[in-house]
Amino acid sequence: MKEVRLEPEEMSEKKLEKTCPTCFEVPIGPIHPALKEGIRFTFWVEGEKIKKVDIRPGFMHRGIEFMGTKRNLVQLIYLAERICGICSVSHPLALVQAVEAAAGIEVPPRAQYIRVIIGELERIHSHLLWAGVAAHELGFDTLLHYVWKVREPVLDLLEDITGNRIDYAIPIYGGVRRDIPPEKYPKLKDALRYYRSLVDDFVNFFLRDPSIEARTRDVGILTREEADVLCAVGPTARASGLRKDVRQDWPYFTYPDLEVKALTPEDMGLEVRGDVYDRIVVRLLEVVQSIQIIERCLEEMPEGEITSVPKVAALLAQLKKAEGEGIGRHEAPRGEVIHYIRLEADKEAPVVWKVKAPTYSNFMPWFPMFEDQEIADIPIVAASIDPCICCMERVYLVRGEREEVVWKEELLKLSREKTKRVASRLARHAPWGRKG
Amino acid sequence: MRAQEVLEALKEKLGDKLRSPELKVEEIGHRRIRERGFLWAEIEREDLLEAVRALKELGPLHISIISGADVGEKIELIYHFAVGYGTPDGEVMVNLRLTVPKDDPVVPSICSVLPGALTTEREKIEFLGLEFSGIPDARKIFLPDDLEAHPWRKDEPELSQYVRYTVAWEAKKDERGEARA
Repeated sequence: MKEVRLEPEEMSEKKLEKTCPTCFEVPIGPIHPALKEGIRFTFWVEGEKIKKVDIRPGFMHRGIEFMGTKRNLVQLIYLAERICGICSVSHPLALVQAVEAAAGIEVPPRAQYIRVIIGELERIHSHLLWAGVAAHELGFDTLLHYVWKVREPVLDLLEDITGNRIDYAIPIYGGVRRDIPPEKYPKLKDALRYYRSLVDDFVNFFLRDPSIEARTRDVGILTREEADVLCAVGPTARASGLRKDVRQDWPYFTYPDLEVKALTPEDMGLEVRGDVYDRIVVRLLEVVQSIQIIERCLEEMPEGEITSVPKVAALLAQLKKAEGEGIGRHEAPRGEVIHYIRLEADKEAPVVWKVKAPTYSNFMPWFPMFEDQEIADIPIVAASIDPCICCMERVYLVRGEREEVVWKEELLKLSREKTKRVASRLARHAPWGRKG
Repeated sequence: MRAQEVLEALKEKLGDKLRSPELKVEEIGHRRIRERGFLWAEIEREDLLEAVRALKELGPLHISIISGADVGEKIELIYHFAVGYGTPDGEVMVNLRLTVPKDDPVVPSICSVLPGALTTEREKIEFLGLEFSGIPDARKIFLPDDLEAHPWRKDEPELSQYVRYTVAWEAKKDERGEARA
């Protein structure tokens, strides 16, 4: 097992100068107006190799938990929805579970099936979005545009069912706000058939492409032991061989009926290596799994009510009387989301609200992933855990009095040049590349 | 793993140190009914590390989050653990509640047993003004380096000043000619 280092102070610049006099400090980030998330990486590099990394988040802290304690519980759902724009149903799904547990509200079966369907449709679109981002970081922009083109139908479908492409405003305490009427089933089934027909293409484009394999195999490795002690979640943990999935481990909604299993590369007959390639494998497997789950939901979904408390005024009155605490967990596309809430009687706002998003847990696993990687691999390793990424605005090289700014484009250029180099080397050596 | 087994194993290892344990079992599912368990218990800070070690011996251990609140004279922390991932329906949520007085807000760090807890411990330092003894990295993580207030504390005059300042600064945006976002 690689040593898991936790003492960034120990690798302070002074000590580094002694142990690694040729190390350069390379800060990347934090922000650009166009980016979704700002985060600062500081790399200490020797030549092309990363010796040490330090990561400083916090540039996007919006104080949402503090704001949440100033709002009533129904308003809170729509605030929770805006924690993440991509997995925008995951936070409300965890929040409604927490409040339902605290206030003792029942949820009708049909509503639970609808929650599962929306959650799984979201997983499909989120994983496709990630696949596009990964292709872009590697320099395959044609693939980026192709993947994002085929992502559109699932967003259209979500718009058709819920009214919105993102921020669906579907969960409410005690159920969901909109039904999926049987007239819409054929449309859903058509979309699922369309995605099923694309699976072979995806496997060819991503997993059988020699240059993608060369750029991602044995890059950004997170071993099984590291993933376990650092509490990695979601596809990041599963790609390292841990069968860890809230849908499987901790029953909620109708997932126990649907017999969901945590998928690892072993399910595709591959050896687990815990690298970026494995993370692609797991996400592709999960797209197929989500298609199967939705198909099964459509078959098994019972008729009936979609909410146990249809009137919002009655719901608010009931919630105002509620006292207690509750936990809600959900497996978002990126991993475990957990909400803890504490309610007191005669108070409309929650007394305590604590939110944990998947990237929060996948923050620590980044450290071992970056060690001994090349600078050109920074974008794909950073993107491989699927953070709400795009922090690579610029690189600031600082060494003594010399300062130099390298923009994001240059970092991407480095990454693309590496792909080109790798591809041409492959073409020279591969049997199909030798012409004449 | 069943919640009852976790409770019995913890009782055996910790004895009276595990105070007022409360077991909640819920039934989930429609066609296949499955049970899921929650264990809530209180613990003294001196016994925290022992409890985490005991949990780690029980099965694969995951820390979801540490939640915290200012409850008057004391600060309350809840460690939300999940024990036993990897098997269908095998996970049990173990929630350990811990209170520390505000004049001595020191809690032992559990990073030596579970390094993945570092992020959430660092967050508690800056948000609640706690100290974790033996934590490998106590720097700020989400808040600005120069902010001395602790946003979740209810007794901090610096914080209310900071909030007033921010609100006033926002209100003056029009005067400065900046468009409202």
